Amino acid sequence: MSQPDEPGVEATTRPDVDEALDAFPLEWDEPAGNRKALSDRRSITKNVEKYDARKIVTGEARYTADFRVHFPTLLEGKVIRSDVAHGRVTAIDTSEAEAMEGVHAVITPWSDVVPDKLYTSAGQSYPEPSPWDMPVLREHVRFVGDPIAAVAAVDRATADRAARKIRVEYEELEPVLDYRHAMDDDAPRLFADDEVENTQSGADYARNLESHFEGELGDVDAAIDAADDALVLETEWETPYQNHCIPEPHTTIAYTDEDNRHVFITSTQVPNHTRRQLAHLFDVPIRDIRVVKPRIGAGFGGKQAMVIEPITFALHLATGQPVKLEMTRREEFHAMRNRHPMSLRMRTAVDKSGRIEAMDLYALSNTGAYGPHGMTVAGNVGTKPLPIYPRVEHVRFAADIVHTNLPIAAAMRGYGAPQGHFAVEAHMDEVARRLGMDPLDFHALNHVQVGDLDRISDILGEGDGARRIRSCGLAECIERGAEAVGYRDRHDEQPDDPHRHRGVGVALCAQGSGVQGDELGAAHIKMNEDGSFILQVGGVDTGTGNDTMFSQVAAEVLGCDPADIVVKSSDTDETPFDYGAYASSTTYISGRAVKETAEDAKARLLYWGSKLLDEPAEDLETGDGAVFSEVTGERVTLEEIGYESIYGGGEREQVMGASFHSTNESPPPFGAQFVDVTVHDETGEFEINELVYAADCGVAINPPLVEGQIEGGQHMALEYATSGTLTFDDAGRPQVLGFRQYGMPTTANTPPMETIVVETHEPTGPFGAKSIAELPTNGVAPALSNAVRDAVGVRINSLPITPAKIREALEAAR
Amino acid sequence: MELEFELNGAPATFEVARSDLLLDVLRRHGYTGAKRGCDTGACGMCMVQVDGEARQSCVLPATRVAGASVETIEGLGTQDDLHPIQQAFVDHTAMQCGFCTPGFIMRTKALLEADPSPSDEAVRAALSDNLCRCTGYKKILEAVHDAADRLAADDALAADGGEPTTATREGTR
Repeated sequence: MSQPDEPGVEATTRPDVDEALDAFPLEWDEPAGNRKALSDRRSITKNVEKYDARKIVTGEARYTADFRVHFPTLLEGKVIRSDVAHGRVTAIDTSEAEAMEGVHAVITPWSDVVPDKLYTSAGQSYPEPSPWDMPVLREHVRFVGDPIAAVAAVDRATADRAARKIRVEYEELEPVLDYRHAMDDDAPRLFADDEVENTQSGADYARNLESHFEGELGDVDAAIDAADDALVLETEWETPYQNHCIPEPHTTIAYTDEDNRHVFITSTQVPNHTRRQLAHLFDVPIRDIRVVKPRIGAGFGGKQAMVIEPITFALHLATGQPVKLEMTRREEFHAMRNRHPMSLRMRTAVDKSGRIEAMDLYALSNTGAYGPHGMTVAGNVGTKPLPIYPRVEHVRFAADIVHTNLPIAAAMRGYGAPQGHFAVEAHMDEVARRLGMDPLDFHALNHVQVGDLDRISDILGEGDGARRIRSCGLAECIERGAEAVGYRDRHDEQPDDPHRHRGVGVALCAQGSGVQGDELGAAHIKMNEDGSFILQVGGVDTGTGNDTMFSQVAAEVLGCDPADIVVKSSDTDETPFDYGAYASSTTYISGRAVKETAEDAKARLLYWGSKLLDEPAEDLETGDGAVFSEVTGERVTLEEIGYESIYGGGEREQVMGASFHSTNESPPPFGAQFVDVTVHDETGEFEINELVYAADCGVAINPPLVEGQIEGGQHMALEYATSGTLTFDDAGRPQVLGFRQYGMPTTANTPPMETIVVETHEPTGPFGAKSIAELPTNGVAPALSNAVRDAVGVRINSLPITPAKIREALEAAR
Repeated sequence: MELEFELNGAPATFEVARSDLLLDVLRRHGYTGAKRGCDTGACGMCMVQVDGEARQSCVLPATRVAGASVETIEGLGTQDDLHPIQQAFVDHTAMQCGFCTPGFIMRTKALLEADPSPSDEAVRAALSDNLCRCTGYKKILEAVHDAADRLAADDALAADGGEPTTATREGTR
């Protein structure tokens, strides 16, 4: 067994740890050719043009709503939503709407086509961990925006008019609007026992508690009791709602084709989960449902939710005609999904040298009116950031997930990790400063390294789960990021104005690569006569560029140009199974499935090469559009193999490959976020001079696409740190219903960014790749809090960080 | 009523209602490059040019463009022969999901027609009505500056009597 290859780790003498290290070996038996020197790479780590770039810039890329022209009898849907935060619908008068010309159907909770069943909108694997707590249309409404009824009409204007004619009467109930009091004894109750099926740990609906969990390694209380009081720090943090602001609103077209099968063209991240969930909900065989994902206008977790497909299907069943349902921006802001608001408490004990001895994290999470992803998001609050410090012996992590009569929180890029990183990384910075240590020196002493055994990512697990860290470029990320931002001389380079102070903050980041132990991706490939290939893959490109990545991975194996790979993805009839695009899984899981699939086809190419070149297959390799001999240099092109294998006079074969990938591994990508800020010490006004992010995602398959993930992730993280949030009046009505009120960063107020990609090699990933998509959403909030602390000495512990909060803190400190 | 106007350089006559918005009319007639992002003129995903100016078509009554010249993303280059702005967006990977891209390209075209060599501040100000959720804007800003350079090079070449050379990469998709 190898030893950690970086200094600073003391050899362990604990037998339990030694045993665990043996169970999770550092060495990994990689397939041949998985590790390639930069000079040997033909298609990967290359700036290959984004697969869909040309159709995007010409406006030809088709998103769900663009398919409308193919359906001459298409009806448009409209949803009628609750105006009250909590109540029971006592009557719905649909008569006036139904009498309108052009209205084809009005459906309510009591319509035959609307299932009388509970489900969860969380697009998760089966059985979904999230509680089944929502019917398709709702009589018991739990937030302003809950769907009550829907109409289908000849066009949008008619559907809108009809929706306004529907009269709903309510018996209003008292709402829960402050999640910090959701569990109070006198708090109104949201769910009766028969209104929810929940198999999660710790649920107690009498207290509006969706889930409670806790996990511990070592003995945190004993470690903290034993520590010097001066070396124990407890801090509190607060994070708000954040909206996905997906460019393309949720949109679905549902129809029944000539084979009597139900087809959904829909903006989803999870075509296969959606198919299964629709089948279960409507009691239709899975084989009778087809879910097609066209181009989608991003997802960010918002489309890892089966939100509008069931309503669209019910309208289709009611009318017998194709139906399109397209959300408005207003609905996106209050009736779809959001990031969970949380209150967090972090406690640590360190020794005098700054080594962390104990960590204790608690989160109270507001999942809003329903609980999709409630427990699992809260789990990531601890299991993503705490493993940055895997050598800490005593660790505890607990959370309560509670309901309020406010919008639904669910999956959103980062999935709990942004909240967790805000608490953990700002806390660690505070610990360092109180010790009189430079935060980078503190991090160098404590942060994760190659060879570490991370048991914290499994702290909520049942057994002895752990994760061996086989790739980690965090030290290089910190070093290069610090250099780029000018960290070491930051205090020497100050503005002339004596009231303005420059500071730099850093936050370390980690995420996963897929859901640990719960992933499956599959692919199929077939060769055309001309040496090109058609790749069918279940993996879902939400705009991030996965189709491009798939073509590069396949081409690297097959020795052709990525442009010779035609990628067909995300159609449950046409492509193999895949869990979908979430948890930063697609490159690591689906990409590896594509690699195995291409290897399968490559074996057949080598067989044909051997036959046509009359040389043993083990002497042959693929490259430059051919199979060639590494011994004689003789070659036969893929085109020659294509024609010969299909039309040849003797033996014939369709060269194909198929495989899948599933694993219990989920290696963390790592990053260092630096924020360079200038703060006015009286007004609290601040400007961000630069955002610098250095990321280790293993081997970058397509560097510009990786950079795009880092830059876009920071955009979302910048908004989280400084601007976007939702607010409500005292009756729970939403006050933010459009982009103008929300505060999404624009070109005018986005600071310069510097992006650094640090290469490591992850032996379990395809060609050494890990994930990147969620990692960069984690760092800006803590790094900005740390930068403000660095500049003017005050700590801001709630988001968004505003000049008013800084001014208030400055005044309090005087 | 009949709406007569010029669409991407050719005369067009569409049947419209008085209450129709330009975005609805365009999309109904198959010009789906302009996207519906907000319906309130707050995101720029529906942006087209009307008599050269960038306009949010989701809040523009269709009847207002009677007699005007409307340009949409469909009027620019083709996949095999991209307009220099489109080529710059492709080369800089200045897109992810692409839903905002046609709007950004039309806004960029209007900007560069008015100001062929804009400062970074001018570009940032001009594009600030267009929202992008995926890219963090960095690659878009780089593409816009590069597009300005490409167009300037084309103009210089044209002034010399030559043919533009910027859009030379063969399209395959």
